[in-house]
Amino acid sequence: MTTGNINYAKVGEYKPIDMLACAAAREVNDGDVVFAGTGLPMLAIALAQLEQAPNAVCIYEAGSVDGRPIHLPTSVGDSRCAYQASIAAGLAETFYGQLHCGYVDLAFLGGAEIDMYGNVNTTVVGDYAAPQKRFTGSGGNPDINSLARRTVFIMLQEKRRFKENVDYITSPGWRIHRWPSGEWVHKKEVYGKYFFGGPTAVITNMAVFRFDENGVMYLDTVHPGYSVEDIKNNVGFDLNVSRVNGETLAPTYNQIDLLYKRVDPEGIFLP
Amino acid sequence: MATFKKITLQEAAGLINDGDLLSFSGFTIWRRPMALIYELVRQQKKNLHLFEVNGGTHTEVLAGAGAIKIWESCWVGHELYGKLGEGIARGQVEGSIIVEDYSHAQVVARQLAGAYGLPFFPTALSMGTDILNPKYDMLGKAGLRDGSNSKIPVKKYDVVKDPFFGNGEILMMPAVNPDWALIYASQVGDEGTVRVFSQTYVDAEVVKAADKVIVIAEEIVPDNYLRREPEKNLAAGYAIDYVVECPWGAHPTGSQFFYDVDADFIRNFYQVSKSKAAFDEWANEWIFGVSGHEEYLDKLGINRLQNLRANSVLGYSTTVKRGTR
Repeated sequence: MTTGNINYAKVGEYKPIDMLACAAAREVNDGDVVFAGTGLPMLAIALAQLEQAPNAVCIYEAGSVDGRPIHLPTSVGDSRCAYQASIAAGLAETFYGQLHCGYVDLAFLGGAEIDMYGNVNTTVVGDYAAPQKRFTGSGGNPDINSLARRTVFIMLQEKRRFKENVDYITSPGWRIHRWPSGEWVHKKEVYGKYFFGGPTAVITNMAVFRFDENGVMYLDTVHPGYSVEDIKNNVGFDLNVSRVNGETLAPTYNQIDLLYKRVDPEGIFLP
Repeated sequence: MATFKKITLQEAAGLINDGDLLSFSGFTIWRRPMALIYELVRQQKKNLHLFEVNGGTHTEVLAGAGAIKIWESCWVGHELYGKLGEGIARGQVEGSIIVEDYSHAQVVARQLAGAYGLPFFPTALSMGTDILNPKYDMLGKAGLRDGSNSKIPVKKYDVVKDPFFGNGEILMMPAVNPDWALIYASQVGDEGTVRVFSQTYVDAEVVKAADKVIVIAEEIVPDNYLRREPEKNLAAGYAIDYVVECPWGAHPTGSQFFYDVDADFIRNFYQVSKSKAAFDEWANEWIFGVSGHEEYLDKLGINRLQNLRANSVLGYSTTVKRGTR
């Protein structure tokens, strides 16, 4: 497919992870202050900086602010994150000196389970007090998601991951509990002055989802090669498909080239 | 004048009592005091109470050895080289480890309060999550919030209304003041001034919050060298109680400008951490099978270590194979 002079790759010419990285990269606006986690978020921000968002900057929670890595970091604590950074400090700086005071525009995060309000679980399967399985835990995911203006979650599309109710709310979506009472309210009721935004997109290997005025997830675009029915079959709640906006743009040949030759030539996250 | 006492790894581990509350330098798989962790396992410490911003390979070595009773943190894994903290997970599922979850920034809030001598620290981060669900206050459920242990606050958190600007509700996180900070540092001066290279993580807060501080240092250098650029230093010498000089003391975790993460070592450890039997076999080889840190380094061998050595300009290894290409 060609739109203008942009050449989009065809199904079969790119891998699912390429689609995830490219779709996520398109969420970055030039000049955004991006707070990203390990893995795919790193590919997405690096790709965006090479394309439409050269002035986007990246914060990694372990302490690097506006680094300019020349080798892809393997984790947010990696010394490569701090190469040519404007600040190499610690978590007090990134969480309080950058995030809490309101600098962060965009969060790029992952999750194991999500509900229709964008509540994400990365902690346990089953009842927390007697869990069947533990994941890694919250890390900085809920912090970053709390106060970023926009959060993009990057996830795998599976019915067991898109749930009516997640087993544990690790990271806050648009409707949450006010603790300790447990009242179920809109995020702004809990965050008050600190309500800056919330989840704006979920990008999976099959589709892009967004959230409506009430903070409810809807299907926005479907990746090439998938149908709306495929997506519905891989979501565990009653998904709003009334606002589907066509097909997700496929990765461009240029994006794929940048990903494999510039962003991750060592094959750290890419196969 | 040095105010710290220079001791050996064996002596350092010997200072730690069963049941003590420990905190650590570093972040996931970076700058962890691994040589001291191995020695704690060799000395068969038990019922340890850990408070840390996140767990990493060091946590999983202690968990595998059955040394942990309480783990207060928010994340555990080995980053790219092992996606879960299998030992902590097994302990939580079996009920042998009491896990109290927070978010990163809530842990940092507790450490900031502890470091600055404040009773609590406010934060709006991670409100509305199940971390704050009273049903999931695991120390409370275990009856440990009765005030009898001075290291465990009587409440996990509180919510207060902003008394000054009317800006609604905010969380109050209680201070944490561990018995011990176990710190791996890049350089320690002969008067105890501490410097770490690159990101500082929560190392400064961990030092200040703890009652006693043990530093295992990659190298001890003249203090007057560190005092030429005081803005690069992390802590003053009077905050440090004990120092062990211990090159490669963070292996297999990484130490910026000295050596990179030993990815193969951690990948292998992650595999063995999935069962108690495999862990025990690994520990017999790498912890009990060597007399101490020197023999551990001999076993790793010069070629392996040389491959991890950091490029002195970039601060990380440019020879280590990190990915599949």
